[in-house]
Amino acid sequence: MMAAFAVSGLCKRYPHFALQEVTLSLTEGEVMGLVGVNGAGKTTLLRLLTGIAAADAGSVEVLGHRLPQAQVTAKREIGFASEDMRLYRSQSLDWHIAMMRRIYPGWDDAYAASLVHRFDLRPQQTLGGYSHGQRVKALLLLCLARRPRLLLLDEPTTGLDPVARAEVLEALADVLRDERRSVLFSSHNSHDVEQLADRIAFLHGGRLIAHADKERFLDDWRRLLCLGSVPPALSSWPELAQVRHAGSQVEVKVRRWSEDLPARLSAAGLSVQRVDPMSLEDIFVTSVRAGGVA
Amino acid sequence: MKLAMNIPLIRLLVIKDWQLFQKPLAAHVLAGLFALGLLGLARPWAFYLGSLLLIVVLVAGSCFAVSTSLLEERKQQTLAFVMSLPVSPLDFTVAKLAGGLLTFGVPFMVLLLGTVVVILSTPLPDGLLVYSLLIYGHVLLAYCISLAVAMQVQSEGWNIFAMIASNLLVNPLIMLLGQIDAISVPARGEDIVWSLPAVAILSAQLLLSLCTLAFTAWWHGRKAAFY
Repeated sequence: MMAAFAVSGLCKRYPHFALQEVTLSLTEGEVMGLVGVNGAGKTTLLRLLTGIAAADAGSVEVLGHRLPQAQVTAKREIGFASEDMRLYRSQSLDWHIAMMRRIYPGWDDAYAASLVHRFDLRPQQTLGGYSHGQRVKALLLLCLARRPRLLLLDEPTTGLDPVARAEVLEALADVLRDERRSVLFSSHNSHDVEQLADRIAFLHGGRLIAHADKERFLDDWRRLLCLGSVPPALSSWPELAQVRHAGSQVEVKVRRWSEDLPARLSAAGLSVQRVDPMSLEDIFVTSVRAGGVA
Repeated sequence: MKLAMNIPLIRLLVIKDWQLFQKPLAAHVLAGLFALGLLGLARPWAFYLGSLLLIVVLVAGSCFAVSTSLLEERKQQTLAFVMSLPVSPLDFTVAKLAGGLLTFGVPFMVLLLGTVVVILSTPLPDGLLVYSLLIYGHVLLAYCISLAVAMQVQSEGWNIFAMIASNLLVNPLIMLLGQIDAISVPARGEDIVWSLPAVAILSAQLLLSLCTLAFTAWWHGRKAAFY
């Protein structure tokens, strides 16, 4: 399968932030969720993937095009929407659609009309009269109806009310049914990522701290509640991400779960009472607290 | 440096700028035509009021064209939307320069031609034409400098400073022209006299305007990416 994108050794330095040595790829047809707190480097990475920004070091290839040199060709096949992107408030959605139709030969009018209906947008109204949620949906519509091969979405659901958020996520879920379309979307809301993504990447402090299939993340991580005292040697076990006292119990978060772990913990003096799966958010927070090692 | 440009998209971006700003620019032109009407009355009070209003309209039009096409786009975050389209930094620069020249240039040319017509067809002395064209030359240069600064500097403060400073220099220019006999004396007569100082000043204004735009295009066009 062709790579939707592949970046290697990517570095981008700003005065107060640096994206460092990011190596990551996405196979065509896959959906990757990029999770990170504000300032983690998600927007920087997405800008590098559109060719809008140039890397200080490393390489960027998107849909077979080397960036930023071939950004014009690549951007014809990319739909990019970011949280800090706005449409013209003095113009209507129809005006924007007419503009997109002239730029993108693959513009799908029927699909655009169906999204207008689905998102309950008024195409003749100027966007200055739209709510934030409507503006986000309008931007998303302009990205989706051009039928891009790669969709790059930077925080698409940030600031949306629960209803608008659900509508946007449903529309994205529909897009994801197309097996040739690849999607990378960033969010600090791991619930959205968990809902849509096949693959997950954690970004923190400008570094990629983990990336893997979602199922592998969820299978590998466990939260154990134990009784007993914590043996000092436990901190050196590589499969344990965090060990801490939770009331009278000891909470152990495991980054590489194996069936023999309870027995080994028992031999070390801890009696395992419960074993629970962890949510993506819990995995991410634990990874960050463990020093950026997942 | 690769000079391949996406001409259809550049044209589309220029049309977009024109569509966005045509109504306010039409208002500027109307105000300018009103000022020209006052000038055409050829009475002292109407001349001073008309010339003052015309300069205000020209300066305001210049500042408006720069601030709406670049500063407002940056502030309103619509620039990110434009950069996400299939454009290179060179395409974007050319589109911004061409769009800026169109949105500024059309009202500018309408008012310049209007000024020529008013001077030549009313009792105002025809010699005033050279003096007027030198003032128009300064407004053009101030616009080009403001546009170049706006494309290079993101700080709103510096951009406002560049716009105000470059346009306010029209006052010392008017005083300077009044001190040069080869320009100020014929301005009161019926003959249109292109003296050496007048030609030199106008040539310098046009050359500096052209160089400013060319340098801006070269500086931004050689960049591989926007950031």
